[in-house]
Amino acid sequence: MTARAAITGVGVVSPFGLGRDAFFDGLAAGATAVGPIRSFDADSFPTAVAGEVPLPVIDPDALIAELGARGATRAAAVVEPLARGGALRDRKIAFGLLAAAEAWRHAGLGDGAGDRAAHLVLGLGLEQAFLDDFAPIFAGGAIRWDAEPGAPLPPTRFRTPVDACARACHRLLGLTGPTVVNASACAAGALAVAHAAALIARGTADVVVCGASDSMVNPLGIGGMSRLGAPSPRRAPDACRPFDRRRDGLAIGEGAAVFVVEAEGRARARGARALATVLGAGSTQDAYRATAPRPDGAAAAAAIARALARAGLAPADLGYVNAHGTGTPLNDPAECRALHRALGDHAARVPVSSIKGAIGHLMAAAGAIELAACVMALTRDLLPGTAHHRERDPDCDVDVLGPAPVARAVAHTLSNSFGFGGQNAAVILGRAS
Amino acid sequence: MTTRVIAAAAVSARGRRWRSVARDGAAHDLDGGPPPRARKMMTRGALLAALGLRDLAAALDRPLHDAGFFLGVGASAGPMEDVVPMLAASIGDDGFSLARFGRAGLAACNPLLAFQLMNNFTLCHAAIQEGVGGPSGAFFSRGGGTATALVEARAAIAAGDCAVAIAGGADSALHPVTWAELVRDGFAAGGLVAGEGCALVALAADGAPGLAVVESCALHHAGDGDTARLADVARGVVAAWATARDEAAAVVIAPWGDPPRRALRAAIEAAVGRAVVIDVSTTAGDALAASPALAWVAAVDRICAGLASRVLVLGAGVDGDLGVAAFALEAS
Repeated sequence: MTARAAITGVGVVSPFGLGRDAFFDGLAAGATAVGPIRSFDADSFPTAVAGEVPLPVIDPDALIAELGARGATRAAAVVEPLARGGALRDRKIAFGLLAAAEAWRHAGLGDGAGDRAAHLVLGLGLEQAFLDDFAPIFAGGAIRWDAEPGAPLPPTRFRTPVDACARACHRLLGLTGPTVVNASACAAGALAVAHAAALIARGTADVVVCGASDSMVNPLGIGGMSRLGAPSPRRAPDACRPFDRRRDGLAIGEGAAVFVVEAEGRARARGARALATVLGAGSTQDAYRATAPRPDGAAAAAAIARALARAGLAPADLGYVNAHGTGTPLNDPAECRALHRALGDHAARVPVSSIKGAIGHLMAAAGAIELAACVMALTRDLLPGTAHHRERDPDCDVDVLGPAPVARAVAHTLSNSFGFGGQNAAVILGRAS
Repeated sequence: MTTRVIAAAAVSARGRRWRSVARDGAAHDLDGGPPPRARKMMTRGALLAALGLRDLAAALDRPLHDAGFFLGVGASAGPMEDVVPMLAASIGDDGFSLARFGRAGLAACNPLLAFQLMNNFTLCHAAIQEGVGGPSGAFFSRGGGTATALVEARAAIAAGDCAVAIAGGADSALHPVTWAELVRDGFAAGGLVAGEGCALVALAADGAPGLAVVESCALHHAGDGDTARLADVARGVVAAWATARDEAAAVVIAPWGDPPRRALRAAIEAAVGRAVVIDVSTTAGDALAASPALAWVAAVDRICAGLASRVLVLGAGVDGDLGVAAFALEAS
């Protein structure tokens, strides 16, 4: 007998603003939050638009106040050392803290030992590099490491550790359980939630704080992705047009989504409201190329099939698919082929949408925030649309919603996440029982 | 369900082999790996993982398209030959310039730099080279976290997601930025010897012939750098493991630097008194996220060599958690 994992708390930081309501309301309005980058001067960059969280500067005092407003009692003790050390330059740390505090409070968890025994499983993006930190030790075309000890640099210099956000969230919530950092690129957020549900099912944990945070809206993040040719070259709010005939690349986004996942029985016993249930998940590896997804979608389809099997569902039971839908020429048709392989005839009937046109591709956090969109679908009976989708590409032969959201009650949702490098994840949520 | 280690592989300062990883030495040989075109995209950690997986695949001699692959990975490590020209084009007498970076710095770097920087590519390159297509997860590790790879590989088999699951770690402490951090944080002064490597074990369930049995594996929170707390947690783990201890038991430790080393040794002594303790960070250097996995193969090696019937592995670093794995000789 395994325990079912219920989602009892959701926290979101998105390009629509701080908080899950801002995110849900933005999707419900069919709005778009992709626009000119404001957190640094990107004029000379090939890419100058992004789905940017409306916090151009992370101010420590404002962050402490925001965390305090979410009931976090350890905010100053956590944020002040990060600010002194220079680590808050890594935007995903603040996003993760805000989302974690909101989810914790939403779930009604507190300072009791049972709550604080929660495990933490976060998907996080790569280290943020601070290129300007190299200037004081760069001379004669080389890095002078011997000059580093005397250089005017903050304690956290050159880059932040990948797990800095997770450690900060752990301290903020006063957790006593172990921490797992999933570093599986764009699949990390979905894999983190799947991992949390597995910990519940195995009986390893009763409560898990899980989700993801990421920001590549920084010079090397935006520049490096541009160099790959992944973002749309157009400097327009509709840069990302998933499944559209005219699509020409992704829009980079940033943000976080964190959930409290707990054993259904525990949630019921303490009178917590379950928002959704994590029914099943699957993951696979393309094992194809470092630079492109497998065109036939076979490995992604296997992940979806595994999630269905784990959930004990048939394809026809799915009422909505939140697609990975990056808006790149290669991803979208490959994903549609995966859906046809995994769902058969139902692939042509089930509503499919991608929220990346509206908020951009949140990279490691994409899978988490897209599961938050699925929670909205299940709790508000509203399926998000596909912003900027006008004319479906014939190679993307699925029922693409959009750009407006659609009012419809569904029982089960599927969310796909496919990581750079070929890691695939599929997660199925169900309505709370 | 009994989970067995059915094959192992390691690349370390002790050589490209898993037997004797914590015993006698050998030359460092990185030949015979991925083709040059693929290597060009790989960080050092990714190359080590690709070599390790190639050796493991050869040992397994079976298709791996459905095998699971779970890896503890370390920090991004963009090749400095790509990073330095980018900085040179972006830094002038007035310091770093975003405008120069956008106009010239980006053009000076490898177009695939972003892929080189992504931590999960340590896993993905190897999976691509060997066609490993089952469930996967890349777990960032600064000590304890690599244990998650073993936990999840074992769980994937138990859940029926795959018949074979590969778990391990790959990392290098020799990257200049990583080494600068280790120096700045006092690890170098505290005796840390920079190492690098990759170690992998292939797991399977009932029916497969095995090198050793995985008795247990878990990740415990052990305080944020609080070595007294780490010692307390480790003492409890060792004491629980030692209840059925026999004379041929041993403990392999993978500490990240001196403070956790002392804490783990103190915990072992407090729990079981004098015991055979092998420290892979002193036999193979500190390979960071790879060290716990090197400790696993050292444990399996010890069992296969008849030097121990049960081996406990403890891995701890700066990430505040204690990774635990217990291996044993399979009862005949």
